[in-house]
Amino acid sequence: MPSAFNNEHKPGDLAISVQHLGLTYTTTIDKRPTLKARVRALGRGTKQTRIVRALDDVMLDVPYGSVLGVVGANGAGKSTLMRVISGILPPSQGRVEVYGKVSTLLALGVGFNPALSGRENVQLGGLAAGMSRKEIAAHFEEIADFAELGDAIEAPMRTYSSGMFARLGFSVAVTVRPDILIVDEALSTGDAKFKEKSLNKIKELRSDARALILVSHGLGTIRDVCNEVAWLHKGALIQRGEPNEVVDAYEKFLKVKKSAAVNEDI
Amino acid sequence: MEKSTSAPIEVYQPFRAGLPPLRRYWRSLWARRSFISEYSRSELHSKHFDTVFGQVWLIINPLLLSGVYFLLIVIIGGHSDKIRYAHLTACLFLFYFVSNTLAGGSRSVVKGQKLILNTAFPRIMLPISAALIGLIRFLPTVFVFLVIRTVIGLPVRWEMLWAIPVAFITAIMALGLSILISCVNVYFRDVSSFLPYFSRTWLYLSPILYEVAQLKPSIRKFEAFNPLFPILDSWSRSMVHAKAPHMMSLVQGLAWALGFLFIGTYYFLSRERDFAVRV
Repeated sequence: MPSAFNNEHKPGDLAISVQHLGLTYTTTIDKRPTLKARVRALGRGTKQTRIVRALDDVMLDVPYGSVLGVVGANGAGKSTLMRVISGILPPSQGRVEVYGKVSTLLALGVGFNPALSGRENVQLGGLAAGMSRKEIAAHFEEIADFAELGDAIEAPMRTYSSGMFARLGFSVAVTVRPDILIVDEALSTGDAKFKEKSLNKIKELRSDARALILVSHGLGTIRDVCNEVAWLHKGALIQRGEPNEVVDAYEKFLKVKKSAAVNEDI
Repeated sequence: MEKSTSAPIEVYQPFRAGLPPLRRYWRSLWARRSFISEYSRSELHSKHFDTVFGQVWLIINPLLLSGVYFLLIVIIGGHSDKIRYAHLTACLFLFYFVSNTLAGGSRSVVKGQKLILNTAFPRIMLPISAALIGLIRFLPTVFVFLVIRTVIGLPVRWEMLWAIPVAFITAIMALGLSILISCVNVYFRDVSSFLPYFSRTWLYLSPILYEVAQLKPSIRKFEAFNPLFPILDSWSRSMVHAKAPHMMSLVQGLAWALGFLFIGTYYFLSRERDFAVRV
């Protein structure tokens, strides 16, 4: 089937190249920008904004046929980096080159409107991501099967549990067979059975010469499936290399003892 | 096939101020046109999801609205002026098209937050969808009005077809306003709270509860500042009186509509890359 999401790639070809990437943005101190706050700020002559440096000179290459794990504490810039790679946030410095179609796990926007059913959300998310109605229809059965939602696929998504949300999102992301798949922290809410199923799917995609980026706090999974791991801290790339080595360093940094609890948690 | 060895498919770099590459943007927008219709359909569907009447509300709403004014003017007011009643109903329906679109448009970008944060797509699709929703809600009201004017026995003439270009101009204006206000609302959230009062004021300042001909000349000077003035006048002339509208009114209305569309689109496109960190 001809599809925008179905190009062949040789393992080792470059999929993503991130060069000297920096991202800064100004944000208002108030949570919501309002006219009143602006007028007040004008009156006092103070600037009610601060500059957030979310990413700082990040260099990364991801070849096809590999899985890059990204680890880091909360607020390290992991999700921001994924958003830049998916073209959602424009970078402030540097350059990102993407050699294929990217599908982030949440990129298909699944569940963006809780009043709509799972089916409608999948369709709308797919259309927003640039797929055609035909492509979505062709994949829909597979998506519903993989997510194991049953009849719930027709119910409004506000009735879903967080596990159901995550399952549907993951199913969409992997079933449309993107060249480049970004999975951001979504395996963590599924149950044990679904976790295993998704891990198998990730391994399958890896051997299928796709490129994957896996963002997770589950260090056991990272060691298990990744070829390379990048450790981000406060927007900067601290270390990058062989999974065990980087994860060991990261664990040491977290002062977390290598206990069974950490390894089991995905 | 060997795309990966040649040029990259996407390159993301810091953007300069101003507009994104327009041709590319347009292509990306056109490729997603089915999103716009699907989104509007789902939104309308979900709005009446739990109701007994469902989509029939699209007809019930304008019927009830005209019923309220029928009660007010004909029964309580004791006027048996059918032209006045028809004028009010027709103009009210057209006004609600613009003000509903304005209200939907103002929320569209902020409401699409989750989608904006997780998917790369031309953001302008959201206010366009809001305008389409407004249009879909407007069309049944035209039908309701045609039934009303048949029942009360207003003359039917070919000049009524002028209502089509007038509705078209109104749609352009609603689209332009939707795009403009959706972007403004990202930066000033207060806008959506002001909006109901603004709409209500606009309603009273427009020739809806009265006809243009009834206005004092001293007040008519200010009509040039009301974008809906020439449109409502033309709409009433064609739909109610079955006469051709003044050419000048049509030109004025079109100028306002295109003005809003261009300004709104320019403002939106030059700002939209900032939305992901703003919503």
